[in-house]
Amino acid sequence: MRKARLFGLAVPLMFCWMALGALAAAEAERPRGLPSGVDHAASSPEWEKIRAKLFQNRNIDAASGKVQLAVPLRAPFGAAVPVKITSGLPQTQELYVKRIYIVVDKNPSAIAAILDLTPEVGQADFETRLRVDEYGHIRVISELSNGELHMASRYVKVSGGCTQPPNRDQLHNIGKTVFRLPEGVRKDTPTAAEVQVVHPNDTGFELNQITVMYIPPHFVRSIRVSYADRKVFDADVDFSMSENPSFRFNFVPRGAGELRAEVEDTKEQHFVGTLAVSLP
Amino acid sequence: MGVFRLAAMAWALFFWSLAAGAEGIPAAYSPVVILPAGGPDRTEFDLTAVAERARRESKRLYVYLGARDCAYCRKYESFLEANAKELVRYFAEYNYIVVDLRSALSVTQDKLYIRVGDSSRSYVEFQKVIGDVRARMLVYPLVWVFDGSLRPLMQMPAGTGTFQTVPEQLEILQLVE
Repeated sequence: MRKARLFGLAVPLMFCWMALGALAAAEAERPRGLPSGVDHAASSPEWEKIRAKLFQNRNIDAASGKVQLAVPLRAPFGAAVPVKITSGLPQTQELYVKRIYIVVDKNPSAIAAILDLTPEVGQADFETRLRVDEYGHIRVISELSNGELHMASRYVKVSGGCTQPPNRDQLHNIGKTVFRLPEGVRKDTPTAAEVQVVHPNDTGFELNQITVMYIPPHFVRSIRVSYADRKVFDADVDFSMSENPSFRFNFVPRGAGELRAEVEDTKEQHFVGTLAVSLP
Repeated sequence: MGVFRLAAMAWALFFWSLAAGAEGIPAAYSPVVILPAGGPDRTEFDLTAVAERARRESKRLYVYLGARDCAYCRKYESFLEANAKELVRYFAEYNYIVVDLRSALSVTQDKLYIRVGDSSRSYVEFQKVIGDVRARMLVYPLVWVFDGSLRPLMQMPAGTGTFQTVPEQLEILQLVE
């Protein structure tokens, strides 16, 4: 009887030892420190503060896929990290992406941009370049016209984006605002456009290599884009945007008109760029 | 003529000193060391032979461009040295030939040339042709990961600061983007 009880204990113990042995073997096989520190969906203390400030206790759906974010894990340069935002629904009067927030958790100024959109965008896909100062998350939060909030996030491994000395060879062109239509024009259809402002977008954290003094902050505060006098989007931005801030976006040309961007910077300088669009 | 010869000898001596010194990828990685040809205004590295070898052996290339007088290069090389026991087998497992191009900080992007076969291109042209956005600026050290046709397998970051831990070096070898 006693022997049977001992046997009954020994069998589970043996299985436990075997399981532990298998785990240890697997651990030994695993190359030490295989990529494990990347959790694209994780939160951060910085994000929790920003979230409370921007959205209070509203629900944010991070799994709906209604907004997607493409960012390389390691960008070539921390001062110009390419970011691509894709929205999972077309812009209609009934339901559209009303606002897009772009957040870089660990930047000195974490809210990189707030875009205020209209259905004139056609499809709320955007591309831009950001400064990223240290390893952390980039997030995009999409607010729909019905009040829903959707989020996508990516962890990126770059640093020094806010302190890298800027390229200052275009200072004579500061404010020059240029549009491009990289794929031509398509009537009544979301048409890709790019707007770029020549501007150093100085963060205030960059060191002048010659004077060894910090370059004072001087950056673009807003870019307001319209087509044929109808608002397409307004972007409130700051120095977390790369130098020469740019957006690739869509608009719906319903007839010939003018693309217009009005730009304002922190020295209250105003710049305007236009492009006449004719339909095929 | 004598001055030119003297300058050429000084240049050759300078690069010989690079090869003889402790700089560069540690020997444990069996790097193919490539010294530059040309002079201070046109420093050319020839990748023809390593590319042919990579094609022949169906391997990838891990091409490192370091500078003799670059502290960040020493830091990365020290990291490789310190972790050679662990990392060398992964370079082999992921099928890389390690190539060590030995340069100097004075070799700026307008002075650096890459030769492949009959074609010699400046750094900027070479980067543009292969679609590498680092064409904008040469930052030492620089790493490319290529297939045997010298097609980049991944867009690499400027510098090596983001892969100086074993897990992160593995991410690079595994082409994690």
